[in-house]
This record gives sequence, C-alpha cells and structure tokens, in this order.
Amino acid sequence: MFMKYLHVYWVQIKNNFVREAVYRTNFLTALCVDLVWIAIEVSLFKVIYSNVEVLAGWTQEQVYFFLGIFFASDALFTILFQRNFWNFSDLVNKGELDILLTKPIHPLFLALSRSLNLTAGLNIILGLSITAHYAQAAGFPGGYHWLKLIFWILIGLFSAVMIRFLFSIWIFWTDRSWAFSRLYYQFFTFATKPDQLYPKMIRYLILTFLPFGFIGSVPARALLHGLSPEEYLQIFVVLTSFLILNSFLWKTGLKRYQSASS
Amino acid sequence: MNLQWRLAALKNGLQDATAYRIEFFFEIMGSAFVPAAIQWVLWYAIFQLGGKQEIAGMSYPEMLHYTLVSLLFTQVRGGDHDFELQEMIRSGQLSNYLLRPVGVVEFIYIRGVAPRLFIATLCLALGVLFSFWLGLSPIRMVGAMFLALLGNLIHYQLGAALATSAFVWEEAYSVLMIKNMAVSLLSGELIPLNLFPESMRWLWQSTPFYLYVFGPTQYALGYWSHGEFLYQLGLSCLWVIGGWLLIRLTWGAGMKRYLSLGG
Repeated sequence: MFMKYLHVYWVQIKNNFVREAVYRTNFLTALCVDLVWIAIEVSLFKVIYSNVEVLAGWTQEQVYFFLGIFFASDALFTILFQRNFWNFSDLVNKGELDILLTKPIHPLFLALSRSLNLTAGLNIILGLSITAHYAQAAGFPGGYHWLKLIFWILIGLFSAVMIRFLFSIWIFWTDRSWAFSRLYYQFFTFATKPDQLYPKMIRYLILTFLPFGFIGSVPARALLHGLSPEEYLQIFVVLTSFLILNSFLWKTGLKRYQSASS
Repeated sequence: MNLQWRLAALKNGLQDATAYRIEFFFEIMGSAFVPAAIQWVLWYAIFQLGGKQEIAGMSYPEMLHYTLVSLLFTQVRGGDHDFELQEMIRSGQLSNYLLRPVGVVEFIYIRGVAPRLFIATLCLALGVLFSFWLGLSPIRMVGAMFLALLGNLIHYQLGAALATSAFVWEEAYSVLMIKNMAVSLLSGELIPLNLFPESMRWLWQSTPFYLYVFGPTQYALGYWSHGEFLYQLGLSCLWVIGGWLLIRLTWGAGMKRYLSLGG
C-alpha cells in the first residue's frame, strides 16, 4: 500500500521535473520572486532594528534565526503543496475531481500531490543558511540540537497544510474560493513575525484557531529557549483538532459534490 | 475624446468587481485590517513592550495615527489589472482587444480602476470623519486622496510597462510580483519610510512608490507643508508623463514581437 503511494508520488515528481525544464525562464523568474521576498522581509527587520535594539525580547540575530526557519518551512510547503491548493477550487468547480475519484487511490492524495513547485528549492537552502549563519549569535546551542530543526520544520509544514486546507475546503459550499485564498495569504502575514510581538488576543488566535505561529515562530522559540509541557500539549491538541475537523469537512464536502463535467 | 466607452468600461469594471459581493467585502477587509494589525503589532512591541518613548521622531500615538491614516491610502494604491495585461499577452487574448476601437492599456486600466474609485470615495468619506476626530484638516485629506489616486495611476503605468516583458519571456507574472513586493515595503504601507536609516533612504526616494501611501499620509497628517505637497504633486505629474512615454515605448516594441497563434 505504502509502496504504491510512493511509486505514484515518484511519477508525479518526474512529471513535474519535465514541466519545469520546459519553462526555464519561468523557473528563473520565479526564483527571483522568492529572493526578493526574502530580501524584503529581512530589510523590514533591518529597518526596525536600526531604531531599536530589542523587540519584545527578540534580538536582531534571533529574529533572523526565526526568519530562516520560517523561510525553510514555507519553502517546503510551496514546493509540495502550494500549486495544489491553488488548483483545488478548479477540481470542484470544473468537475476535475471526477477523474480523481475514479482512481484506485485516495483522491485527496492525488489532489494534493499532483503539482510541485520546484523553484522554491533554493529558498530551503537560503532559509537554512540564514538559520545556520545566525544560530550561534542567537544563542542556539547547536550540536545534536540541529536534529530537532528537522522535526520543527515538519511541524511548520503540517501546520501550514492544515490551515491552508481549512481555507480551501469551503469550495464545496461556495462557488469561488478566491476570497478565502486571498484571506489566507492576508492572515499568513502573521506568520512572518515572532508570536511574542503580538498583543495577547492576536497571539492567542495565532496559537490556537489560526495557528500561523506554528510555522516559524514556535519552532524558533522551541529551538532557542525550549517550550513548556503545556505548550507541547497545546501544539498537539490544536493540530489534532485541525486534522479531525479537516477530515470531517472533506467527507461532508464530498457528499455535497456534484460533478460539473459532462 | 470619447467619454461614452470610458464610462461604460468604468461601469462594467465596478459591476464585475462587485458581482461576488462577499468576495469583494473579504478583499477590502483583508487588505485593510491585516496590514494595519501588523503595523499596530510592531508599534505595540516597540513602545508598549519595549518601553520606547520615540523612534525616528515619532511617538506611539503618532505611529498609531500614521497606521490609521495610511490604511485609507493603502486601499487605493493599486490593483491587479497589470496582471490582466500580462495574462492577455501570454494567452493570446490580446488579439480580441486589438480588433476593438479602444486602446487596450487604457481600457484595462479604466475597468480595473472602477472598484478603486469606489473604495477611494468611501475612504475619503472616512478620512474626512477621521480628520475631525484626529484634529486634521479635511482639505488636506482631499489633497492627499488626489495624490494617492495619481499614485494608483503611476502604479498601473509601471505595471503595464513591465507586463510587456511577456512579449519577450511569454509571461511577466514574476516581474509584476517583484514590483508589488517592492511596493509593499517602499510605499510606506508596512512602516513609515522615515524609519529607514539614512544610509537606506535612497531606496524609497529613488522610486515613485512613496507617493502611493507615505506621501499622502504625510500630507494628511500635516507633516508636509502645502508647498511640499505641490512639489510632490508636480513630481507625480512628471512620473505620469514618464509612465505614459514608457508605455508607448514598451508596447510599441512589444507589439512588433507579438504573435497570436490559434483560433
């Protein structure tokens, strides 16, 4: 069973490599977009730290350490899932889901693994380089603790998938999901700052109902200072709740689905 | 000058944008409150948590006023209709427009600017109300909104010129995204541009982006004198003329390369 899924995924990866190789200019310009985005986020904090020394207990080096983790985690999401979520509404609107439903494999697996965005690969390297560069100055102990980074990047990825899915699934009930996607990216801005900067109410929101803080901020805090047992429990409860809610919404949505194709 | 088709395009653009009302509402809310919340968070962290009294000569209430007023101009600062142009070039839909007796760049702008004009009217009304509450001049608010609308035009002109790279590379999406990202930082919608250290000020001073949000906000809040405002208004007009020339140049060159294949 697992090998079957792995084989299907491998075929998808190969197809995506071929597609990226055909559109080389697009590949290069997309790389530039990512580089500019990183440059802008870094510049924003550079400007802020030219006026203050510490921001809510975060030094400049610690914020860059956080940004590195955030970029790496987000890049992984972009590579594996971003395009699939953009295409998700078409699956329902245009009836393309019909084809996936007839395949002898879980339709959601196919829906979320069909397209890869390989241009973001450089961002993972850049993100990890930024993290590594500022690790010592930020107070990261290093050594075997680097292994924890993999775990926390995966937590960031899982959180992003859960939230994005919750913003996309409403396409079964609404005709267009453009507004929800747009809203997701508006709220996503909350993930680009350490959670301790936020006032209590917003901080509570991004650590519970909209856990954007789990993408980069909480992982960075966990690696720099460690988390309390209550915080670990909170992460577990929130992500499990999201998984259950999303599964329920997917099943309910499928029951509502009416093929739009001929 | 034929006003009839322009008014029709304007009406069509507004109808198109508001056809999905919930979507339109979400878009306005999202683009208004999230950037404001991010700004507020930064000021909260610096002043309330960090205990700072002043940064770059601005106190906490002044920063909050900046956030509140800049929000009005952020709503006006640009649309995505330059993306529409690049998509038309890429997909070949441009051919349909070439047959029509209207300029395609102007037509797309007028249709795209319609919802922005609607939002600008709402923001101006809100701004005038704010001005009484914050003790600002309503006249300045009107002038600032006019500057913001000129900024909207410059933003589109630059986008329309950049969209022509699709004639060469088949798509200009990434180029336009880079422009929008630069605008988000250099227009002053994320932070007031006077926070930039001296060594980095050339970054925003060398582009017209500061005329979209930072400039109007400075004038509305009374930080710019009327003389400074008129000077910046003149500068905006020069950018508009420059943008118009740039469009003629890039679209003229692009059309010579344009190939529309298929039925």
